[in-house]
Amino acid sequence: MSGYPNFTSKILKTLLHLAAVFLWLTSLGFASLHAQTAGLTSEAVIQKWYTLSLALIRHTPTYSPPVASRSLAYVGVVTYEAVASGSDRLQSVVGQLNGLDGLPPREPGQSYNELIVLEAALAASIRDLFSNTGPSGQQAINRLSGELRTAVTSAEPDAASVERSTRYGEAIAAHILDWSRKDGGAVIENMGFPWTYSLKKGPEHWVPTNPLSRQQQVPLLPNWGNNRPFAMPTNTECALPAPLPYSEDPQSAFYKEALETYQTSKALTPEQKAIAFFWTDDAMATPTPAGHWISIVLQIAQADRLPLEKLVDVLMRVSVGMADAFIGCWHEKYRHDLLRPITYIKRVIDPDWMPFLLTPPFPEYPSGHSVQSGAAATVLAAVLGDPYPFSDKTRERDGAIPRNFTGFIAAAKEAGISRLYGGIHFRTAIERGYEQGRCIGAYAVALKTLK
Amino acid sequence: MKHIFSRFSFVLGCLALLSATTSQARAAEGLVIPQFLEETSSAGVDSIYRGDWQYMVGGGAAAFDCNGDGYPDLALAGGEGKASFFVNKSAQAERLQFSRFDSGAELERVTGFYPLDIDGDGVMDLVVLRVGEITLLRGLGACKFERANEQWRFKAPEAWWTSFSATWERGAAWPTLAFGAYIDPKSENNPWGSCTDNVLVRPIPETKGFADAIPLKPSYCALSMLFTDWNRSGTPSLRVSNDREYYEGGQEQLWHVNAGEPPRLYTDAEGWKFLKIWGMGIASTVLSGEQHPSYFLTSMSDNKLQVLRSPPDGPLKPMYKDIAYDRGAVAYRPYTGGDLRPSTAWHAQFEDANNDGFADLFIAKGNVDRMPDFAEKDPNNLLLQKADASFTEVGDVAGVASFANARGGILADFNLDGLIDLVVVNRRETAKVWRNVTPDAGRWIEILLADLSSNRDAIGAWVEVRQGEQIQTREITSGGGHASGQNGWWHFGTGASQSVDVRITWPDGRVGEWQTATTNAFYVMSPNDAPRAWTPAIRAQ
Repeated sequence: MSGYPNFTSKILKTLLHLAAVFLWLTSLGFASLHAQTAGLTSEAVIQKWYTLSLALIRHTPTYSPPVASRSLAYVGVVTYEAVASGSDRLQSVVGQLNGLDGLPPREPGQSYNELIVLEAALAASIRDLFSNTGPSGQQAINRLSGELRTAVTSAEPDAASVERSTRYGEAIAAHILDWSRKDGGAVIENMGFPWTYSLKKGPEHWVPTNPLSRQQQVPLLPNWGNNRPFAMPTNTECALPAPLPYSEDPQSAFYKEALETYQTSKALTPEQKAIAFFWTDDAMATPTPAGHWISIVLQIAQADRLPLEKLVDVLMRVSVGMADAFIGCWHEKYRHDLLRPITYIKRVIDPDWMPFLLTPPFPEYPSGHSVQSGAAATVLAAVLGDPYPFSDKTRERDGAIPRNFTGFIAAAKEAGISRLYGGIHFRTAIERGYEQGRCIGAYAVALKTLK
Repeated sequence: MKHIFSRFSFVLGCLALLSATTSQARAAEGLVIPQFLEETSSAGVDSIYRGDWQYMVGGGAAAFDCNGDGYPDLALAGGEGKASFFVNKSAQAERLQFSRFDSGAELERVTGFYPLDIDGDGVMDLVVLRVGEITLLRGLGACKFERANEQWRFKAPEAWWTSFSATWERGAAWPTLAFGAYIDPKSENNPWGSCTDNVLVRPIPETKGFADAIPLKPSYCALSMLFTDWNRSGTPSLRVSNDREYYEGGQEQLWHVNAGEPPRLYTDAEGWKFLKIWGMGIASTVLSGEQHPSYFLTSMSDNKLQVLRSPPDGPLKPMYKDIAYDRGAVAYRPYTGGDLRPSTAWHAQFEDANNDGFADLFIAKGNVDRMPDFAEKDPNNLLLQKADASFTEVGDVAGVASFANARGGILADFNLDGLIDLVVVNRRETAKVWRNVTPDAGRWIEILLADLSSNRDAIGAWVEVRQGEQIQTREITSGGGHASGQNGWWHFGTGASQSVDVRITWPDGRVGEWQTATTNAFYVMSPNDAPRAWTPAIRAQ
C-alpha cells in the first residue's frame, strides 16, 4: 500500500520517530560512538560504501538477488562488528550467527581511531566480495577507497594509531570473509546457472520460461537453499506447506489462482503497472530486492539521522534477515519446484498471453520478493517501529516515481502483490511467502545487540 | 575440490564429444568449411590496441582503397598509443602483405575508424573516433590525409566516442553523421548513469560543411550505431545498440531521422520493444527467406539475432523476434578451449566465407578486462549460415578461433582472390590477420558502386544478386560493427553459378535493370551503365 501521508500522519511519524530515538538513546546513556574526521562521519563512510555496493550489485553479472543478499549480509556483519568492537554498549553477534566464532581482539591499552577501523573494514570486505566486478567497478572501489582513506587518516596525527586501526579493521573483515567462504554460496559459476541440471518430470514442475536465452534453460542457483543460514538455525526452520495441488480443471483452486493472475494482468491499472515496475528489482538492472530494502534503510538513515549504533544494528539485522530469507525461500522453491504462471497460463488458458514483467528463471513457489520483503519488514518494524511513514526513491533514476509508504509492513505487502500484477506469481506464493519471511525475519530480530 | 574437478572434467568431456559430433554433422551436411591461414607476422601487420580503462571498448579497424589500386588498405586503432596505417601490398591470390605507411591518420587516443567520402570528391576520407575529439580526416589521395574539422566546420563536444554511422538524407549533397558516446570520462568514481550525449551532425545545404551537433537525448552509452532502412521505406532510421552496464533507465534505440525534421525516437506505441543488452556491435544482413534486414546484436553471454516480425496488417512496425537461439547463433560461451564461462562479443559482420551463397557470421570475442565471471579464453566465432538460415559453428576448424582479446575487425577480400579474409584488432596484443585459403569454396562476384551523385559510394543502396530462385540482398551501409567499417568491394558468394544477375537500387530510389554478370569477377557499377569488369593490375610480391 502506498499514498502520500497527510499532515497528521507526518506529525505522527515525527513523534513516533523522536520517541523511538529518545528511548534508544536513553538505553545507551546518551553517549555516542559517532566518529568524525574533518567533517567525515562514520555514518557518511557507511553511506558512501553502501551506495557504491548497491551500484556494484547492479553492475556485477553474478549478482542475482540471492547472491546480492548474501554479500549485503556479510557487509552488514562487518560494518556492525567494526563499530561494536569499539562500543561499550553494542555486543558482538559472534556466537549468535551460525559458525561465526571469536573475532580478533583489540590490543589492550591501545587507542584506536574508530573511523579508520570502520573504513578499513568496509573497504576490505567490499573489495573482496566484489572482486569479480568489471574494470569500472574496480576503479570505483579504488577511487572511493583512496578518497576515504585519505580523509580518515589525514586527521589522525598518531601514525601508530592509523596503522593499528587499519590493521584491526582489515582483521575484522578478514575474519568475517573467512567465515563467509564456507557457507556454500561463495563460488558462483556461469552466473549462477548450473552446468548440468535435470528438470523434474510432471506438468506441475518448473520448465524454462525464456526460450531466447541459452543460459536460462536451467534454473538459477538450485543449491542456494542448502547454504548455511546466518541467524536462522537451519534452512528448513520456516518451511512451507506444499503449494495448491496442480490441476488444469477450471473448478480447481489452482486454476482459479492462475485465472486471477491472468485476468489481473489483462486489466492492469496505471497504478498497478507503476507498482509492478517499482518493485521489479531485476538482477543487473536494479540493486535487486535486498539492495532495494537496504536503499530504503539508507534513505531513512539520512532523512531521519539515525544514530551510528542504530544504523549499524539495523543494517546488520535487516541484511541478515534477508539473506536467510533467500536461503529459506530457495530451499522451498526447489523442494516444491512449481511451474511459473507463464507456463501454466499459456498451456491451459491463453497461449498468446505475456506477463507484464519478465519471468525470472527459477521455480515459482514461494515468491522470493515476498519472503525477503516479509523478513525485511519484520526486522525494520521491530527495530524502527511500524507504522513508520517513509518515501522511497530507490528507482527514481530508472524513471520510477518515488513511492510513499505508511510503514514497512505496507511496503512489504505491496512488494509481494507487485509480483501478481507483474504476472510472475500466483497469490498463494505471495501470501505464504510473506509469512515465511515474517518467520525467518524473527530470527534476525532475536539477535542480541545491546549489552 | 575433487568433486569440482570431476564435474569440470565431465563437462569438458561432454563438450569435446559435442564438438566431435558437431564436426561430423557438418561433414554430413556437405558444408564447405572455410580455411583461414594466419599470416600476421609475414603480412607485416603489427599494431596493438593499448590503454587501460578508457580503452576497454573500441579497438576498431577500417578497410578501404586509399590509392586506387583496388586493394583494401588498413587503418587500425591504437588506443593510448598511435593508430597505425598499412598500405596493402598483396598480389592477387597471394599471401597477404602490408606496409606501414605514414598517412597522417596516426593519431593517439583513437578508438575506431570508419571510411567515408564525406566531401564527395572521389577520395575516401576517414572518420576517427577518439577519447576526446572526433577527428575528420580528408583524403588527399595516395593514402595521405589531412585534418578537416575546421575546413568542414565540424564541431562536436569532447567525449569518449565509440560509435558512428552515416547516411545521405533525401536531397542532401553531404552526409548526415551520427556519433555515439560512452561514459563521461570524468565520472571515474561513479561511471554508472553517466552516459554522455550521442550527436547527430547534419550538413549545411549549399555549403561544404556541417551545422552544429544535435544531441540525441536520451543517450545510453552507445557502442554501435547503424543507419539502416529497416522497412525499405527509402529513409533509413538510426539503430543504436547500448551498453546496459552503464545506463540507467535505458534500452536499445531506433531513431526516426527524417530530412528537415528533428530526430525522434521510435516508441512502444510504434512497435519498438524494450530490450536491454550489453550492446556492443550491430551487424546486418538479409537472411535467406526474409525480405528485410535482420540484425545481429553482440552482447555478453547471449547474443541476439533479430528478424522483423511486424503484424501482417497495416504499415510495417519495427517489431523484432530474437531467433539467435533457434538458429544456432546465440554464441553465448566458448565452443573450444575449455573455458566454459560466458563469452563477451564485440565486432560482428556477415560475409560469405565459403562462397556458398549464404552470408556467414563472424564474431570477435574477448574479455572486457580480466572479468573472472566471463571467459578469458574466448575464441572468435565463425558461424556458417546454412540454406535454412540456421547457423553452425566452424571457428575452430576454420582456423580463426583465436584466444587473443578481440575487439574490432574487418572481413574483406584483401588479396582480391574472391575469398573473404580477416583482420581482428586485439586489446593489449597485436592485431591478427588471416588469409582465406578455402580450397573448395564456391564462385563469387565483387561489386564496387560508383554513384554519380556526391554520395560516391552509394551509401544506402541495395544490391541484389540473383541466381536461379535465390536472391541475395545487401544494404550498403556506413557504420555498425564495433568501431570498425569498410568501403569498397561488396562481396557475394555464388556457389556453383557461372553467372548471376545483379540489380542495384540506388540511394535516390532509382531501381536499375537486372544485369547479367559472369562470376569469379570484379565489377564496377554505376547508374544506367552495364557492369564494367575490373581486373587488378598484376604485381609481383
